[in-house]
Amino acid sequence: MSGHDSKYFSTTKKGEIPELKEELNSQYKDKRKDAVKKSQPDLAILAVNTFVKDSQDPNPLIRALAVRTMGCIRVDKITEYLCDPLQRCLKDDDPYVRKTAAICVAKLYDINAELVEDRGFLEALKDLISDNNPMVVANAVAALAEIQENSSSPIFEITGNTLSKLLTALNECTEWGQVFILDALSKYKAADAREAENIVERVTPRLQHANCAVVLSAVKMILQQMELITSTDVVRNLCKKMAPPLVTLLSAEPEIQYVALRNINLIVQRRPTILAHEIKVFFCKYNDPIYVKMEKLEIMIKLASDRNIDQVLLEFKEYATEVDVDFVRKAVRAIGRCAIKLERAAERCISVLLELIKIKVNYVVQEAIIVIKDIFRRYPNTYESIIATLCESLDTLDEPEAKASMIWIIGEYAERIDNADELLESFLESFPEEPAQVQLQLLTATVKLFLKKPTEGPQQMIQVVLNNATVETDNPDLRDRAYIYWRLLSTDPEAAKDVVLAEKPVISDDSNQLDPSLLDELLSNIATLSSVYHKPPEAFVTRVKTTQKTEEEDYPDGGETGYSESPSHAVDSAASPPATSSSAPHAAARQPVPVTPAPVPDLLGDLIGLDNDNSGNGAIVSVDQPTVPSGPPLPVVLAASTGQGLQISAQLVRRDGQIFYSLLFENNSQIPLDGFMIQFNKNTFGVAAAGPLQVPQLLPGTSASTLLPMVLFQNIAPGPPNTLLQVAVKNNQQPVWYFNDKVSLLVFFSEDGRMERSAFLETWKSLPDSNEVSKDFPGIVVNSVEATLDLLAASNMFFIAKRKHANQDVLYLSAKIPRGIPFLIELTAVIGIPGLKCAIKSPSPEMAPLFFEALENLLKS
Amino acid sequence: MISQFFVLSQRGDNIVFRDYRGDVQKGSAEIFFRKVKFWKEDGEEEAPPVFNVDGVNYFHVKVVGLLFVATTRTNVSPSLVLELLQRIARVVKDYLGVLNEDSIRKNFVLVYELLDEVVDFGYVQTTSTEVLKSFIFNEPIVVDVARLPALGPAGLFMQGTKRMPGTAVTKSVVANEPAGRKREEIFVDIIEKISVTFSSSGYILTSEIDGTIQMKSYLSGNPEIRLALNDDLSIGRGGRSIYDYSGSSGSGAVILDDCNFHESVHLDSFDVDRTLSLVPPDGEFPVMNYRITQEFKPPFRINALIEEAGPLKAEVILKVRAEYASSINANTILVQMPLPTYTTRVSFELEPGAVGQVTDFKESNKRLEWGLKKIVGGSEHTLRAKLTFSQESHGNITKEAGPVSMNFTIPMYNASRLQVKYLQIAKKSKTYNPYRWFTFGDSGNEAQLALASPAT
Repeated sequence: MSGHDSKYFSTTKKGEIPELKEELNSQYKDKRKDAVKKSQPDLAILAVNTFVKDSQDPNPLIRALAVRTMGCIRVDKITEYLCDPLQRCLKDDDPYVRKTAAICVAKLYDINAELVEDRGFLEALKDLISDNNPMVVANAVAALAEIQENSSSPIFEITGNTLSKLLTALNECTEWGQVFILDALSKYKAADAREAENIVERVTPRLQHANCAVVLSAVKMILQQMELITSTDVVRNLCKKMAPPLVTLLSAEPEIQYVALRNINLIVQRRPTILAHEIKVFFCKYNDPIYVKMEKLEIMIKLASDRNIDQVLLEFKEYATEVDVDFVRKAVRAIGRCAIKLERAAERCISVLLELIKIKVNYVVQEAIIVIKDIFRRYPNTYESIIATLCESLDTLDEPEAKASMIWIIGEYAERIDNADELLESFLESFPEEPAQVQLQLLTATVKLFLKKPTEGPQQMIQVVLNNATVETDNPDLRDRAYIYWRLLSTDPEAAKDVVLAEKPVISDDSNQLDPSLLDELLSNIATLSSVYHKPPEAFVTRVKTTQKTEEEDYPDGGETGYSESPSHAVDSAASPPATSSSAPHAAARQPVPVTPAPVPDLLGDLIGLDNDNSGNGAIVSVDQPTVPSGPPLPVVLAASTGQGLQISAQLVRRDGQIFYSLLFENNSQIPLDGFMIQFNKNTFGVAAAGPLQVPQLLPGTSASTLLPMVLFQNIAPGPPNTLLQVAVKNNQQPVWYFNDKVSLLVFFSEDGRMERSAFLETWKSLPDSNEVSKDFPGIVVNSVEATLDLLAASNMFFIAKRKHANQDVLYLSAKIPRGIPFLIELTAVIGIPGLKCAIKSPSPEMAPLFFEALENLLKS
Repeated sequence: MISQFFVLSQRGDNIVFRDYRGDVQKGSAEIFFRKVKFWKEDGEEEAPPVFNVDGVNYFHVKVVGLLFVATTRTNVSPSLVLELLQRIARVVKDYLGVLNEDSIRKNFVLVYELLDEVVDFGYVQTTSTEVLKSFIFNEPIVVDVARLPALGPAGLFMQGTKRMPGTAVTKSVVANEPAGRKREEIFVDIIEKISVTFSSSGYILTSEIDGTIQMKSYLSGNPEIRLALNDDLSIGRGGRSIYDYSGSSGSGAVILDDCNFHESVHLDSFDVDRTLSLVPPDGEFPVMNYRITQEFKPPFRINALIEEAGPLKAEVILKVRAEYASSINANTILVQMPLPTYTTRVSFELEPGAVGQVTDFKESNKRLEWGLKKIVGGSEHTLRAKLTFSQESHGNITKEAGPVSMNFTIPMYNASRLQVKYLQIAKKSKTYNPYRWFTFGDSGNEAQLALASPAT
C-alpha cells in the first residue's frame, strides 16, 4: 500500500508548507528507501542535499521533517551526511525539532552505533534529559532506553540525580511520556528504605491517571520499591492505595482488562492481601470475552479462601452450566483446585462436583472425574464413599484423561471396590486401541489390583496386560514400565508391594503456580509483554541481534536427554527390517533378565506420574535431525574443485521448531579465508537468513560449521512452487560463489501438525475434490507399518488412523506447513510388496509435487 | 515501541498500513488475520488481544467493527499499545467526524499524516487532537452521515466498552461550518453502564455502575472550564462491605468506589467543593471515569419466563417495567435474549395497541430481539414469543436460554445521581449555551433465567 502513498500525497498539494511537507513525506516512504538501497547511492546523495538544506529551513516543521526523514534512510553513506544536521537539531530552539532529533538518534544508533558514540550524540541525548520541554525529555528517555537495550556497555544508568530530574518531569509530561519515564525509572534500585518511600510517594499520584498504561507502569514502580520498604504500616497502606486503581482497570475495554488480569495474576501471587477483599470484581460477566473469563477464573482460584469459598463455589457452579464447553471445563477444574487448596472446604467442593455429575452432561462428568482423582491424591482415604457414584458414569467416559483418572481411582482403591476386577476387565478388552495414557494407567492399576487381591482373576488379567504391554506395543514408556513390573513381580513380590503401593507424597495445587524465581523475574517485568505471556523476555524477544547465538543453539538444552532410550528405539525400528524389530523385545520378554535394577526415585516417579504425557513422540522428532558436529555428513553443494579450494556442504534442517541452514566450510586452499557472507535468491518459500553468517577466519586446512537461523516468507519467488534454493556465498579473498541447493518440504512440517481425528475428517470433507492429488510410487516397499509411521513421525507427519482394505493397509496422516496450511495424507500399500499410493488433500494442492518428491526421498532412504 | 500499525476491515482487507521500523515482515497483516480468524488455542476460540507468532507480537482492539492492530518484536508495555490503538481510533474519529471503513478510505492521506505525527520510530509522540492540530495540514473529506445506518444503542455497546467514541457528535474538529465560522459549543455526556442482577425473588444480587463524564469541546481560544459535581460526593468505600450502604438508594451521598481523571484536569479545589477545572483540549476525551457499587435504584425491572409448551415448543414471556418518574422517557430500547441453540422458528405476539415496537429472531446467533422506540416512566410492556425447536431439549430448558440484556438511553436521568451541577466557561465577552447530554446505557448480567431474571 505504501507504494501508492506518494501518488496520493502529490495530488493533494495545498499551499507552500504542506506541499513541501508532502514532498518530503513521499520520499520518506519505503519507495524511496528501496530505491536508494538498490544501488543508486548517487541519487540518494542528491536527495540528501535537499534534506540537509531543509534542516536549516526557517520553519521548524520543515527542519523536524528533514531530520525525521533522513533517519529513515538506512544507507551508510547517507548517515554521515545526517550527523551535522542532527547535531544542530538536537540544540534547536524549537522543542518540536528537538524531540524529533532525540528519536532520530535512536534511529541512527540502529543503523550505525559506532557513529553515534563517536559523534557524541549520546552526551547530547543525556543533556536533553534536563530539557525544559517535557516532550523532549520523554523522547530522550525513550531513545536512551532503547540504545541501552541494544548495547552491552552502560550508557544510560539512572543515578540519584537523573532520578530526581525525571520524577520532576513526570508531573508535566504527556501521558505517554510518563510511561516512558516510569519504565526507565523502574530499573533504578533505591539505596535504602527511605529513598524507596520517597520515590513511591512521588509516583503514587499516577495511580489516578485515566490512562491504563500509566497506572500499570506506576504499579510496577511501586511494587518494586516496596521490596525495599521495611515498615509494615507503609506497605499495608500502599497495598490499600493500589487496590482501587487495579480494580478500575477492569472497567476498561476488554482488551485492557485482559492485560490487567494477567498482571494481577502475578501481583496476587506475591501480595495476596492487595485484592483479598475484592474477589467479587473478578466474577465473570456473561458478555465477557472468553479470554477475560478464563483469566478471571484463574484469579478467583487464587483469591479463594475459607471466608469466601461459599460465594466462589456458587459462581463456579453457575459457570459449569453455561454453554461454552471450554469455560465449563475450566470451571469444573476450578472447583477441584479449590478443594485441593482449602482443606476445610474440600467437602463442600466435592458435594458441588457430585451435583454436577448428576446433571449427566458428558464433558462435565469427565472433567469432574479428573479433578476428583486429584482430590483423592490430596486427601487419601477420606472421600472414597463417592466412588460408587463415579462408577455409574463409567460407560460414558471417552476422553483419555478422564478414563485414565477413573482407572487410577479403581486401582488405588481396589480393595474397597468389590467388583474392581470386573471394572478393570471391561477396559482391558480394548487395551491395544487405547491411547498411551490410558494404557499406562491400566497397567499400573492391574498391578495394584493383583498385589491387593492376588487371586486367580487378577492373575489372569495381569498376564494379559503384561503381554499386551510388552509384546504388542511399540510405545517405549509402556514397555519399560511393564518390564519393570514384570521383573519386580517375578523376583520379589514383597518389594513390588513396597514400590507400587508405597505411600504417595501429598500433592498441592501447583497448576499455574509459578516458580519463585520466575515469579520474581516476571514481577520485575510487570506492565510489559512478559507479564502477559508469563514468560521471561528472552523467551520471546527475538531482536534481529544475532550475535554468537548459533553456538548456543547447537545443543538443545537438557530435557530431551532423559529420553535417550526412545530415539534409539526409533532409529532401530526405522532402520532394521520389521521382522527383527519386533522379535528383539520378544526375546527379551521371555527371559526377563534382571539387568541393573532401575534406581528407585525414577521408578516412583514413573508409577506416580499420572499425567505422564506421551513424551516418546517429542523425543523421536529429534532423531532425524542431523546435529552439526556429529550428524550424518551434509551434502556437498560447492565442490572444492569449483570453489578454488573452498568446499561448502549445506542443508536446511529443522531443529526445535526452527529452521536452520546447516553449513560446513572447508578451506582446502592455500590462503586464509575470512569475511564470509551469504545471500539467498528469491525462492518459493521465501527462505532467507535471519541474521548474518557467523564464520570465523578459516586457515588453510581447517573447517568450520555453523547453524544459520532462517526465516520464511521474506523474498518469495512468484510462479509455481519448486524446490530450488539458489545461494550465493562470498568472502574477502575469492569471487562470489553461486550454488543450487534443494529444499525438502519436510523441514517445513511443524511440530504442531497433529490433528484430531474429527478435525481431520472435517477438513477432508470441507476441501473440494479438486484439492486432492495422488501419485504412485512403484519403487517403494512398505515392510512394516510401524517402522514407516515412526519414520514419518520423525518428520512431523502424524499418524491419525489406519484401516484395512482387502489386503491393503490404508494409513491416514496429517502435517502442517507454516501459515497453518494442513496436509492430509492417505497412504495405501500392501505390506512387503513394492508399490505405494499416496494421496494428499490440502488447501495448497500446488505443493503436492514437492510433497511427493520429499516423501519419496524419505521412504527410499 | 511498535513496529507497524494497521487497520483491517472485518473481511481482512488492509485499509491502512504503516511500517515504522521495518523489523517485522511485510506479510504480517495477513499472518495476523489468519491467526485471529482461525484462533484455536488452549481451547479458546477467540484470540486474546495480545499474542506472539514467530517472534512477532500482535496487539489488536476492535473498534466499530474494524481491527486496529500493532506489531512489535520487543518487550513493550502492552497496556500502552492497546491504549494507543484506542486513542488512534479516537483521534481519527475526531478528525474525520465519523469513524468507519468508508471515511478512512476517503481520507487516508489525512490518516497517514496523522499516523506520522502520532508515532515516530514506533514511539508515541502525542495522541492529543489539540496538539496535533498544529502539525496537520490536510483537511477531512466529510462522509455523509445521513447515509450511515443509525448507531443505535446496540451498536454503541456492541464492543462492551464504555468509552466508545461519543454518541452525539459526528463533526470533525477541523472541518468548518458551511458559513465559514465555527460554532462555539461544548458537549458533556455522562454515560453510565449499569450491570444489575436480580434473583428470581426480586432481590438485587449484584449491582455496579461504570461511568464516565465525556467532553467534546469546539470552543475557540481554549478557555478554562469549571465543572461542579454533587457536593455530597465522596470517594472510596469507608468500610469493606458494599452492604454498608444498603437502603441508601433513595437519598444520601453519592459514593464512588474509585475514579480517575484526564491529565488536563486540575484537582486543586476538588477536595473542597467538588469542582474540577480544566482547559479542554480539542476533540473528545473522558474528563473522569468512575466506578460505583453502592446500591441504587435500577430504572427497569425485567421479568422473563420460559416454559415448555408441548413437544418441540416453548413460550417466552418478557415483561419490562419502567421504574422511573412518568415525566421521563427512555429511548431506543433494545431487549435481547439468547434462545436455545436448537430453536428454529419464533413467532411473536405484541401487546394489543403496541406502537413503535419491532421484534426479530436472529437466526445466526439464535437471539431474540425486541426493540421499543420509547418507554414512558411507570409503564409496563410485555412480549410473548412462541418458539419451535428442532429437537427435544435435553434437561433444563431455562439453562439454555438467557440471560436477558437490555440497552437503552434515558436523557436527563442517571442512576448514580452523579450530576454536573454547573459548567462555567471563563470567557468574558460572550455567553455560551453548552449542550448538556445525559446519555446512559447498560447491559444485563446473569447466566440463568429460572433462578434469576436478569435485567438492567
